[in-house]
Amino acid sequence: MEFLNTIDKKVKEGRVEGVDKVTGKGKFAAEYTVENVCYAVLVGANIPAGKITSFNLDQAKQVSGVLDILTHLHRPEVPGFATEELIKSSRFGLPIFHTDQVYFKGQPIALVIADTLEDATYSASLVEVQYAATPFRVDFDAARETVGLTEAGKERGAMAAWANAPHTVEEEYNIKSQVHNPMEMHATIAQWTANDRLVLHDKNQGVNNVQNVFANLLKIPKENIEVFSEFVGGGFGSGLRVWPHALAAILGAKQVNRPVKLMLTRPQMFAGTGYRPASWQKIKIGADASGKFQGIFHQAKNATSLYENFNDGITRVTRLIYDFENLKAEAAIVPLNLSAPTWMRGPGDCTGDFAIESAIDELSYKLGIDPVELRLKNLAIATNPETKLPWSTNFLNECVMQGAERINWSERKSQPGQLVDGDWSTGYGMAVGAWNAGRGNASAAIKMERDGTITVQTAMTDIGTGTGTGMVNIAHDTTGIPKEKIKIELGHSSLPPAPSQGGSNGLSSVSGAVVAVSLALKLKLAEFAASQNEIYKTAKEEEILLSENGLSFQKNNQHFISYADIWSKNGLTMVEVEASSGPGTERQKYSFCSSAAHFCKLKVNTKTGKVKLERMICIADGGKIVNDQAAANQMSGAAVGGIGMTLMEEQQIDTRLGGLIADDLAGYHFAVNADAPIIEVGFIGKPDPNINPTGAKGLGEVGIIGTAPAIANAIYNAIGKRFRDLPITPDKILLG
Amino acid sequence: MSKESTYSRRAFLKASGAFVMLASIPYSLKAMYVDVDKLTVVPKQALSITVSINKKSYSVPADTRTTLLDLLREELHLTGAKKGCDHGQCGACTVHVDGERVLSCLTLSAMIQGKEVTTIEGLADGEKLHPMQQAFIECDGFQCGYCTPGQIMSAVACVKEGHTGSVAEIKEFMSGNLCRCGAYNGIVQSIQKVANA
Repeated sequence: MEFLNTIDKKVKEGRVEGVDKVTGKGKFAAEYTVENVCYAVLVGANIPAGKITSFNLDQAKQVSGVLDILTHLHRPEVPGFATEELIKSSRFGLPIFHTDQVYFKGQPIALVIADTLEDATYSASLVEVQYAATPFRVDFDAARETVGLTEAGKERGAMAAWANAPHTVEEEYNIKSQVHNPMEMHATIAQWTANDRLVLHDKNQGVNNVQNVFANLLKIPKENIEVFSEFVGGGFGSGLRVWPHALAAILGAKQVNRPVKLMLTRPQMFAGTGYRPASWQKIKIGADASGKFQGIFHQAKNATSLYENFNDGITRVTRLIYDFENLKAEAAIVPLNLSAPTWMRGPGDCTGDFAIESAIDELSYKLGIDPVELRLKNLAIATNPETKLPWSTNFLNECVMQGAERINWSERKSQPGQLVDGDWSTGYGMAVGAWNAGRGNASAAIKMERDGTITVQTAMTDIGTGTGTGMVNIAHDTTGIPKEKIKIELGHSSLPPAPSQGGSNGLSSVSGAVVAVSLALKLKLAEFAASQNEIYKTAKEEEILLSENGLSFQKNNQHFISYADIWSKNGLTMVEVEASSGPGTERQKYSFCSSAAHFCKLKVNTKTGKVKLERMICIADGGKIVNDQAAANQMSGAAVGGIGMTLMEEQQIDTRLGGLIADDLAGYHFAVNADAPIIEVGFIGKPDPNINPTGAKGLGEVGIIGTAPAIANAIYNAIGKRFRDLPITPDKILLG
Repeated sequence: MSKESTYSRRAFLKASGAFVMLASIPYSLKAMYVDVDKLTVVPKQALSITVSINKKSYSVPADTRTTLLDLLREELHLTGAKKGCDHGQCGACTVHVDGERVLSCLTLSAMIQGKEVTTIEGLADGEKLHPMQQAFIECDGFQCGYCTPGQIMSAVACVKEGHTGSVAEIKEFMSGNLCRCGAYNGIVQSIQKVANA
């Protein structure tokens, strides 16, 4: 295994991989130089539903440089797709090139492979397909009426108990579909190095997951599949699944017996790598005169595909944040002729939080109670309302108080439309969000050289969250070895296994492994040192101190033995240790959550409908912050994502022809630099003593969850118009 | 691809089929058939391009359809310029041509004959990073790093153009470079740092 991008730059400030990223040296999936590579381009179905009746490939094949064209009639067999049962149990979703059924417009149905990208692209444009079209449905708003709701989560209390609540809000909320759109388009270079050996350079959020999926589909040993994903150009959930195009590249490489590179086009990203599904929600919330919540009834439906079920878990957040007696939740999924949705940053919770936090804001006006006070009165700070387990730590109340202070909440007017300056009206809004803080089993290894340089290794990817830098900090804190002597290797399948990076679990999981392996290194060195000094025979982890050059006992330079000495005396070339770490019985004693409060101040132009964010403040409880700068970046970036979700992001669907409208970055808008203010971030910073050895709880999701309702609530405070549908575009503001 | 194309070979074959049934194929029709094929499937054309990239001269044969971005990434293995949309909508492919910021995905290779191209790989002075590269590291002006080369190339130009008078001005003149991680805080700070140095 050769690392093209071994991260060993000695940069004191910034991330370990910083130099590779600012110089263009870091290699993303499609950028590796692979000998004899050829190019593949996918062809998408041109109808939303039906059957392929024939292909006419004559013209496409006349293009010079075309090597082959794969279709369901002409491709290598995927053993995992041999029967309908296998297809279903593979949980792969779309059985690409193994069906003549068309489930959505843009579904990949052919793959052109050619010597150059230009040849393949041109040839793909000449592929002709005949279909037998059938009726379709892509209109979520129309289709959802036909699907009934079923119970979601544990019901508690009784609906009857709060039937006569003195103050209620009962409203519906609709959110359009949003698309992850990481800046790096999904890409795979597939190379068969033997009949049953595969090398993949692939964009994904978990190399071990990719291995497992393809081992199962291709029926080859997992160890035979090598996956490189050292640099991943963003994910936001789109890389947690393995998508059909990656399998297409693998089949293409098999067919032409050459390495195949396939990078999706941006339009293909909209129908090929998931999205946050469109949703409908209805919330009924009741409170007594003091503002104490008596009950919440939360109903939700989300879109899914016809070939795969996806439930976004929209009502979960309602069950998590507040303490109240009576809860009922219902959910449903609505199959449409669209590609499969998937988890997108703050999955389910972003959607559910917009509804519940908007409803609570609305309730605050009815009650005449300040929204901050109303939150503080009802937050479930001590116990997880659903599991009844105590939170290990939960400082959401402190997040709320700090945020209120920082934005000068007292300047907010309790009635809307009070701060007017010409065409601009100013408003303040806030919302809270929380996320179940998870942890998975992860492994890490350390290789130590004679000069004291260590390389910490894990298969986990770093999708931009700063995992590698966090690992350096943790290894430094645990061992004492200076940061300049710590290198990181990650994102490769032969490294010690780790879960996918997603759901804010990445650092929480791998940090335990890095601590464990750092301690293992100490014991291993002490074991070698014991032959020179008996004191190390019984030395405990905390008594062994490592420095740049050697180890000491209890305090620096006491019983010092240099690494060089140990290496010479024991004839060593390298010291290697590996360790694993994962959740344990603490999960039976406690519940775990990360949380955040969002506050915003904005101006609405009542003539143009433009919303201008002046301040966005996000205060988070993510446990211990392992790397301040990257963590703040993570939070502010998530808030920028939330601004897009609130004000502009919408995957428009052509209900007449069944396709996507404006499936590129000119038609689908997310927040550009000028759309976001400088985001202000704060952390509570108290370590969670039970979640993992570092006390870090994870931040990826909570940065976005409360953003949308905070903005919508501020818009109401500014102009007195309540928007319950996202995105809140200027036309809606003017007409609303 | 549409099911029926006005100029498709299939449509032509159907039409010509009628003639075939009436008589043996006249030579002139055969010739016409070949001509139509040539018309519908455009043959590849290459031309030789001489260009200076990062102060190194290249003479490369390029497909007339090849963009500067694909020439850099696929032919010359200079993968620093990124493909984020291939439509000039995201700015990830930003390079400098004769000192000005240019979207390399909207620039055909044929258009850069004799020009001076600078990519992210040519920004540093040997091992010494360009101040903007250093600032991006120090201010954490990125997360995943994919849009970063384009951001930095634009940022260098933004400073040169003098559009750094305020946060709002920087944001406006950097809004052609999208960052889905939302690392805009650090991007603005990096530019301020260099502009005020």
